[in-house]
Amino acid sequence: MTYSSTLALGRQQNLSRGQNSVTFRVTDKRLGPVSNTIILIVLACLLGLLYLTQVTRTNTYGYQINNLQQQQSQLQQQHENLTVASAREQSVSRTANSNTAQAMTSVNPSGSVQQ
Amino acid sequence: MNQQPAKEVIDPVQRARIWYALLLVIFGIFVLRVFYLQVIRYTYYKRAALSDQLKQYSIPAGRGLITAHLGDGTVPIVLNQELYTLYADPVDIKHPAQTAAKLQPIIGGSISNIQQELQTSGTQYVVLKQKLTSDQSNKILSYQLPGVGTEGQDYRTYPQGDLASQVLGFVNNAGQGEYGVEQAMNSQLSGTAGELKAVTDINGVPLAATSNNILTAPVNGDTVGLTINVGMQAQVEKIIQSAYKTNKSKDVSAIVMNVNTGQIEAMANYPSYDPSNYSNVSNPDLFENDTVTNPIEPGSITKLFTTAAALTKGAITPTSSFYDPGSWRIDGATVSDAAIDHSQGQESVLDILDKSLNTGATWMLMQIGGGQINPVARQTLYDYFSNHFMLGKATGIQQGNGEESSGYLPSPNDNGSGINLTWANVSFGQAYTATALQMVTGISSILNGGTYYAPTLIDQVTSPGGKVTKVQPNAIEKNVVPKQVSQDIISLMEQNNARHINEGYPYLNFGPNYIVGGKTGTAQIAMPQGGYYPNLFNGTYLGFIGGNTPQYAIVVYNIEPTNYASFAGADTGQPVFANIAHMLVNDFGVTPKS
Repeated sequence: MTYSSTLALGRQQNLSRGQNSVTFRVTDKRLGPVSNTIILIVLACLLGLLYLTQVTRTNTYGYQINNLQQQQSQLQQQHENLTVASAREQSVSRTANSNTAQAMTSVNPSGSVQQ
Repeated sequence: MNQQPAKEVIDPVQRARIWYALLLVIFGIFVLRVFYLQVIRYTYYKRAALSDQLKQYSIPAGRGLITAHLGDGTVPIVLNQELYTLYADPVDIKHPAQTAAKLQPIIGGSISNIQQELQTSGTQYVVLKQKLTSDQSNKILSYQLPGVGTEGQDYRTYPQGDLASQVLGFVNNAGQGEYGVEQAMNSQLSGTAGELKAVTDINGVPLAATSNNILTAPVNGDTVGLTINVGMQAQVEKIIQSAYKTNKSKDVSAIVMNVNTGQIEAMANYPSYDPSNYSNVSNPDLFENDTVTNPIEPGSITKLFTTAAALTKGAITPTSSFYDPGSWRIDGATVSDAAIDHSQGQESVLDILDKSLNTGATWMLMQIGGGQINPVARQTLYDYFSNHFMLGKATGIQQGNGEESSGYLPSPNDNGSGINLTWANVSFGQAYTATALQMVTGISSILNGGTYYAPTLIDQVTSPGGKVTKVQPNAIEKNVVPKQVSQDIISLMEQNNARHINEGYPYLNFGPNYIVGGKTGTAQIAMPQGGYYPNLFNGTYLGFIGGNTPQYAIVVYNIEPTNYASFAGADTGQPVFANIAHMLVNDFGVTPKS
């Protein structure tokens, strides 16, 4: 007789005495329909939350893009203003009316008609 | 013993079933409602939602710049600048007096007037000031005045003021070019507007996390580079303005053209206008570039073309001469000279140009016809005028659509109404009309050895990506006149100039290093009812300046001058030519003889 068979014999002897006993046996643990539904809902909520988090995070980039575009627009406008100012400073009439030009004298002009 | 009636007890299971059924009904109602909203009314609600969330913006393209030559480089002469319109909503203005006091130091004007505008009734939009700078706009917005705002708008800006305004044209409030280069090159300058379709949040900021956004970037307009030389243009404008005042003229126009390319380096009219304030111009005629829109009977400068045609046909030589009878009888009318009404004896071709003999021009026409004005003479001169010098045809210059006039050249065919007299008149510059541009382009084709180049104002076009497209000289006709005839005409014009120096016009002397030549024109002006005004003339001049060869051709149209001594051509056209030619020698490096 092996050691294991000896133990099994012992348990059978105890049962035979009619004493209360609790038996432990492995049964199939399965979730019911309510639990399944709840879990699915929770999972869907989690997924929704995850989606919302990502969408919100992505949409904040929209504000960053918008701000950058505004900055770009402002810089372009500044560039335009400076270009205009530069062109005005170089205009023929402004140059001709400058103090430097006024102080100049004509050098050997070939001639002109005094009308 | 009374026995109480037994209470009717509903079976709990039954009750649960009732509740269950009720819940099912309610749930069913919800499902039906949701089905109705989301399936049946899907399109409606989607559209309603998108109308709030989906924004569609048109992104305007920046209009291309216009540049011109200055010194060795180019400078922008037309740019864009965002300026601001200050507006107010009188309904929202609670304290008009304080608001007006805040605005007045920035926008000028009187506080009472501003306050009055702020209290305008029956409107929610009052424009207080236009064309404010961004600094002014920002300052006003920083006050955070209720009911006051600014909105930006792109404007064309002209750093050179009214320089070449009639050549440039302007851009109207709808963003379309009108007149001049702005209209002719509108499609290139406009570019292509972009588009943004985006789902936005409540602030109107596009949501990044959507695949429905569509962004089409705008393509800015091309930069158009003109052949105009800013310094030359400014001086030509100054010269013709002076002539306008001195001669008390109606208009004065002038063009400087490179004879070897057809490029126009200066093209000016006076009076003119300020393109940045075009809306304040009361006379729309000022928008027109007279050098291309206003053909006149050009007068005796035409004799150069008649001479060239007669020389080319071999009807005359540069040394030919004829007996001038003082007048010709043609088709029952008398053709005589403006200054001389009697025979001067034998006259040479140079005399014809120097004394501006109408009888001489008529004689050259007769020589073309073998001694008389006949169909051959008429047809030949018509052919040269029309198909060689391109008179009576629009040149295709890049000016407003339909703006250019083709002038008028009569048919050479006998129409039974004095056709020989008509063509005698044409030979010395009457009975046909031509613009200043046609005349200067025609003479350039003779001066450069016989190639007619299409006149152009466009030097190059640069795309927003930097691709430069040069506009090459466009030779329309390569056999305008033989080279020998070109040399003969140059020589005759030069000799004519030399004679004028000795006849009391020393300002035509440019010394030995330059060749200068020209021809005056004192043109009669037709009356609307027929005939010509007895005491009203146009003064014209067609000439050139250069070194070894002619470099620049110059035309002057002095329209209806009223203050001059003797002949409009010599007194009002010739001095303008001389001043322009001296300016070219002094400031623009006319290559002297080597």
